[in-house]
Amino acid sequence: MLNWAFREMLLAPQQLFASVAAVAGALLLVLFFEGVFAGESDQIVALIDKTDADVWVMQKGVGNMHMSTSFVADWKVDAVAEVEGVARTTPILYMNSAVEASGRSWFSYVVGIELDNPRVGPWAMIQGARFPTPGGAVVPEIFASDAGLKLGDTIRIAGTDFRVDGFSGDTFSMANSINFVGMDDLADVMGSLGVVSYILVDAEPGVSAQALAERIIAEVEAVNALPRDIFVARDYSIAVQMGLNIVWIMTLIGGALAVLLTGFVVYSHVTERERELAVMKALGVRDRAIYAAVSAQALTIGGLAFATALALMAMAIPLAAEFAPKISLAITTEAVLRAGVTALVVSLISAVIPVRRILSVDPVSAFQQ
Amino acid sequence: MSQPILSARDLVKTFGTGHTQVRAVDGISLDLGPGELVTITGPSGSGKTTLVSILGALLRPDEGSVTIAGQDITAMGEAALSALRARTIGFVFQSFNLLDALNVRDNVLFPAHLAPGGTRDAAGRADALLDRLGLGARKQALPATLSGGEKQRTAIARALVNQPRLIIADEPTGNLDSHSGQEVMMVLHDIARDQGCSVLIVTHDQRIEEVADRILWLEDGTLRNRKAEPRTLARDPVCNMLVDKELSANFADHEGRRYHFCSKRCHQRFEADPQAYAAQGALAAETERNPT
Repeated sequence: MLNWAFREMLLAPQQLFASVAAVAGALLLVLFFEGVFAGESDQIVALIDKTDADVWVMQKGVGNMHMSTSFVADWKVDAVAEVEGVARTTPILYMNSAVEASGRSWFSYVVGIELDNPRVGPWAMIQGARFPTPGGAVVPEIFASDAGLKLGDTIRIAGTDFRVDGFSGDTFSMANSINFVGMDDLADVMGSLGVVSYILVDAEPGVSAQALAERIIAEVEAVNALPRDIFVARDYSIAVQMGLNIVWIMTLIGGALAVLLTGFVVYSHVTERERELAVMKALGVRDRAIYAAVSAQALTIGGLAFATALALMAMAIPLAAEFAPKISLAITTEAVLRAGVTALVVSLISAVIPVRRILSVDPVSAFQQ
Repeated sequence: MSQPILSARDLVKTFGTGHTQVRAVDGISLDLGPGELVTITGPSGSGKTTLVSILGALLRPDEGSVTIAGQDITAMGEAALSALRARTIGFVFQSFNLLDALNVRDNVLFPAHLAPGGTRDAAGRADALLDRLGLGARKQALPATLSGGEKQRTAIARALVNQPRLIIADEPTGNLDSHSGQEVMMVLHDIARDQGCSVLIVTHDQRIEEVADRILWLEDGTLRNRKAEPRTLARDPVCNMLVDKELSANFADHEGRRYHFCSKRCHQRFEADPQAYAAQGALAAETERNPT
């Protein structure tokens, strides 16, 4: 029966191709939206990830960077530095703000860095200075390109003008972009003197980040400290959660579309082959064997569509980077699993659709002309 | 008769209710012994399909019993009936009913998947059957590329691959030209004679009746044996076969004379050019009256 099921599909390769392509399109919808959110989430944690400090210290009660505010008294930078196992501390100021240029505005992370300490800053430069001078800013190149900015042009952050000193790469996404300014300049903008937002801690060789974070929390008053991996994971999880509802909605829409398409194809196969099914029943094939064959067809379409969608998504990532740099796309294991499970569920539901039709096929009809 | 392979007793099958009720099979009893070839014929709507569906374990009678190879099938469940059909009965259909996606060999082997032993034992039998039926060179061909005769011979090989004890054929020559029809008729005859299969054929084809052990006429839901009855024969003006005038369902009137045909195909050919065939028919009738 399985032999028949597969060959029957190959009998009309155009139909098979069309159905696989259509279902792959629906699954691609699921993968694409999840890919966009994964890509955006990757960008949201890019600063923490690329600035490979071992431990991040922040205000007590704060556990994230994205959409968070943290204020730590600046004397605690020295207090943290005195904790055993700390090799180096680097403070940064940080705020979420709209950055305005050419009459448009972009939601951004604005990171204030010590101008005399190159420990934190852009990790990929396209043009200009890597570190801003006083009154200057390093902005994402895509942002600058969108706004038609040249080096030396002006942008506005929270009502204060900054001169563009450099264009950075890999710091832009649709959800946020990362702009670097001098820490003193940002302190003026924020009106927050005597505080920093986060303290980046480099551990001495052989010191575990987890143990060091625990020691900092124990020894420095009113701070929270997280190893970099945990800090990244927490922010990533928040970013993903923000898109989770949309991802689920798209999964449902994509899944429903795929069920309709696969169900239609499988049902059509059954309808078109009703006479053959009647002959099979007359020859002694049982309903459950026919049902297994139809399920195998649905699973084959689902499997091929899943593989096709994955391949298309893999091709879309470099193409998006080349032709639509604003879109950050990524494939995650979760996305692949979700699309795979969707394909499986779609196939199983689709296989159920023609059951009544299969059961109603009368073997006596094999005798009819 | 030795122990019958097929035995039906007092079969009744009714369709519809009230004044639209039709008694398609009305108290039919029938025995079919090993090696026996029996044809069932009758006018359209006489209940032939209903009867063979019951005898082929595809349809349950309202009353009566059917025993196939010693097993009373009337009380069997669907699963047991499917298994019985796969092992014990071979079907040959008028429309061949091959599976389009499978090649000739796989079509023949298809029922073998349903029988004990599977295709391992059946592969050799399938090849031997195909060779015997002249399809040795066409094993890999798809049904769409076969002639009508080749399709029906494939269907016969499929019906035989599980070595069934009963063959049920529905108008096996109905869609074939006279040559292919003759060929199929002889194959079915040989199956009964050489393999001891019981062969039950529903047909209007007079040629099959020539080799039948019994000819059963089904009308108004009841059977009667026609072989013992006197028959009036006519010659088919298209293929020159002798046709029982009374049983022939295919006939046409042309220029005041009635012509009888062995099959729908011959009838259609006649209708396409009645003048040419009418002349041939008259000549044949003349030759018959004055044999040289």
